[in-house]
Amino acid sequence: MDSDLVPPGLTYLADNIITRQNILGVTKEQGARWAQKLNLPSRADTVFFAGCGYQFSAQLEVLMSLARGIDKSVIGSELPMRFARFQKKLGLNLPGIYSNVLSRGGDAEVKPLEAAVKVLRNMGIQPGYLAKNEPCCGATLYHAGLQSKFAENARKAYQVLKDSGVKRVISVVPYCTHALQKLFPLYIKDYDLEVRHFLEIVAEKISLFKLRYPRPVRVTYHDPCQMVRFMNLIEEPRRILRAIEGITLVETDWTRGEWATCCGGGGGFETVFPELSQVLAVNRVTELLETKPDIIITHCPGCIMQLKDGLHQLKIEGVEVLDLIQIVATAMES
Amino acid sequence: MKKQSDFKSYKKEIMGAAHNDRLRLALSRAVKSFRANVKNALEKFPHTVKLADEVLEIKKKAIPDMEKLARQAIASIEENKGKGYIARTSEEALEIIANLVGTKKLIVKGKSMTGEEIGLREHLEEKGNEVYETDLGEFIIQKLGDRPMHITSPSIHVPREDVARLFSKVMGQEIAPDAEIADMVAAAREYLRDKFFRADIGISGANVVAAETGTLFIIENEGNIRLSTSAPPVHIALVGMEKLVPTLSDAFKVSEVTWRYANYTIPSYVSLVSGPSKTGDIEKVTTYGAHGPKEFHVIFLDGGRTRLAKYPLLRQALYCLRCGGCLYECPVFAVTAGHFGDKYFTGIGAVWAAIVNKDSEKAASLAYTCLTCGRCRQRCPVKIDVPEMVIELRKFLAEGE
Repeated sequence: MDSDLVPPGLTYLADNIITRQNILGVTKEQGARWAQKLNLPSRADTVFFAGCGYQFSAQLEVLMSLARGIDKSVIGSELPMRFARFQKKLGLNLPGIYSNVLSRGGDAEVKPLEAAVKVLRNMGIQPGYLAKNEPCCGATLYHAGLQSKFAENARKAYQVLKDSGVKRVISVVPYCTHALQKLFPLYIKDYDLEVRHFLEIVAEKISLFKLRYPRPVRVTYHDPCQMVRFMNLIEEPRRILRAIEGITLVETDWTRGEWATCCGGGGGFETVFPELSQVLAVNRVTELLETKPDIIITHCPGCIMQLKDGLHQLKIEGVEVLDLIQIVATAMES
Repeated sequence: MKKQSDFKSYKKEIMGAAHNDRLRLALSRAVKSFRANVKNALEKFPHTVKLADEVLEIKKKAIPDMEKLARQAIASIEENKGKGYIARTSEEALEIIANLVGTKKLIVKGKSMTGEEIGLREHLEEKGNEVYETDLGEFIIQKLGDRPMHITSPSIHVPREDVARLFSKVMGQEIAPDAEIADMVAAAREYLRDKFFRADIGISGANVVAAETGTLFIIENEGNIRLSTSAPPVHIALVGMEKLVPTLSDAFKVSEVTWRYANYTIPSYVSLVSGPSKTGDIEKVTTYGAHGPKEFHVIFLDGGRTRLAKYPLLRQALYCLRCGGCLYECPVFAVTAGHFGDKYFTGIGAVWAAIVNKDSEKAASLAYTCLTCGRCRQRCPVKIDVPEMVIELRKFLAEGE
């Protein structure tokens, strides 16, 4: 990497993006597995952009729990997420560990994505999906400060999308959406992709549906930073939740909408400060629990991971963390 | 390798803070009351939000003009029979002040971030002077031998029991750990009372300076600044050049926005100081040094500010009014306090470390501690885009300028 001032955790992710087109450095086939049974066309005007966060959420959880373990141990102070070297030193085979997790049925990552496609189809949209050819948005490069690498990656990614005949992108991961929508145009001349966030589309059409959650639940909503403070998607999730019968939305006093507290996973922070990031997750969960929810709903793979870990650290049982996509899909089914 | 080890010791420091339950308790209480107070202040004076937009425009114009404004202010101050100086560097500022002060003097000092920035108190003590911090929070910090953990509340991390223990030691009179806070405040008042009147020199900072008249605006609640800048025969003020605005009316606007976003409907005191004390009551002959100071010196510190002003995105750091509101919104600050900082705190602190103090290792540590979550921007009266600045700074650190 260009400078030893970039923390090793971020250079690890950056290297993976540059060499393997995903933040974990695993095969793209692994990422595309979730869509196998959905028969999504690989060529279409409108494509669904799945992003690393959801596609690799199980692997990311493994990575983070390893990183936090290391960070809290004695080795942590010596090797803060210097994974490439660390793997060799300990004979760790991360890709191997990842595929073990997957074969054990760790397919939690499938659910939000599959649900998103089902919701879109119910709304009359038939998106394509580039599967293993889906480029990485490279947002982590940007946040790490590696702007020239981000620009290079963005131009390549844009070319892949254009070559696949894409005109419109429906994206779900907040970081990817922000990158495709706001950052790419800064580096690409005559950028002409229409990029919309999944929730914008759902919020527009939600009133046409009669939605009911299978059981009455008290929920609270955690706004991902990118959604509220960088893309201004504040009312959309609330409009959606209010449209679902059986759901009672209870929000925190101060820390909602544009005032939401970060889950502690901002911009790759959890790889630089794995342990501190966990402290922040616990703090955010503590705030959310004040609303006494049955379910904490959010809409970002990073936030989900953080909030689940926060609940786990607090040893809270009986409270679920679910993606808003899953809630909508479930409410459409019943 | 040095760079890595610096990051490690920094990481150790902030993790130590993050595991300190007392610190977190103190901060979480502070955050709650701060938010409620700001809400109340803004509801009571709703025009403040619009006024803040005006202030942003004032700052946008004033920052590229700092140098000119400083010269204008100095001319005004000298017309008022005070003295003005521009210090290019921290060292220069220390030298100017040390020469004015000399040695074996008793000095009472108001809280000043700029003073902290250049290590003013320590420098004057080394020169053989007796320096008393008179802001209660800063007094606690001085006696603890600690460093400030917040812009407007330097001892925000010290619970009352610790204050009682400290005061018992310092003042030689027993203060029980469960004593009322009012008793601790009274003890500090009694301890400092005679210092104000025995002092040879009073030192202050300023929140805003109007260049057209050379007027310093100093906002406070305790009254220690009034005493420090009025009772001793000499008043020396150290002011960062970014505090300058063209007119008195601009300065009033900046002040009002500053205190309101610092959670006050109205502070108890705002001092406006433009020159030494004078009287013409006997035969209309102007004589200096009536009840206030006979001498008035203002040092405007550049110290990298004009360099910072040249960076299109990073210059926003100079718009900062130092209301401290952003700190209460930072999720990292909520568990680490000022340990996530250097001379200044959090993401803005990273920019200062990089450009003003030219310490790229410290800057990197701070820049990568910022979540870039953007809640500080939400709170900021002048909408400083910390995520944008921090990402720009990371670019400089990672790829060079």
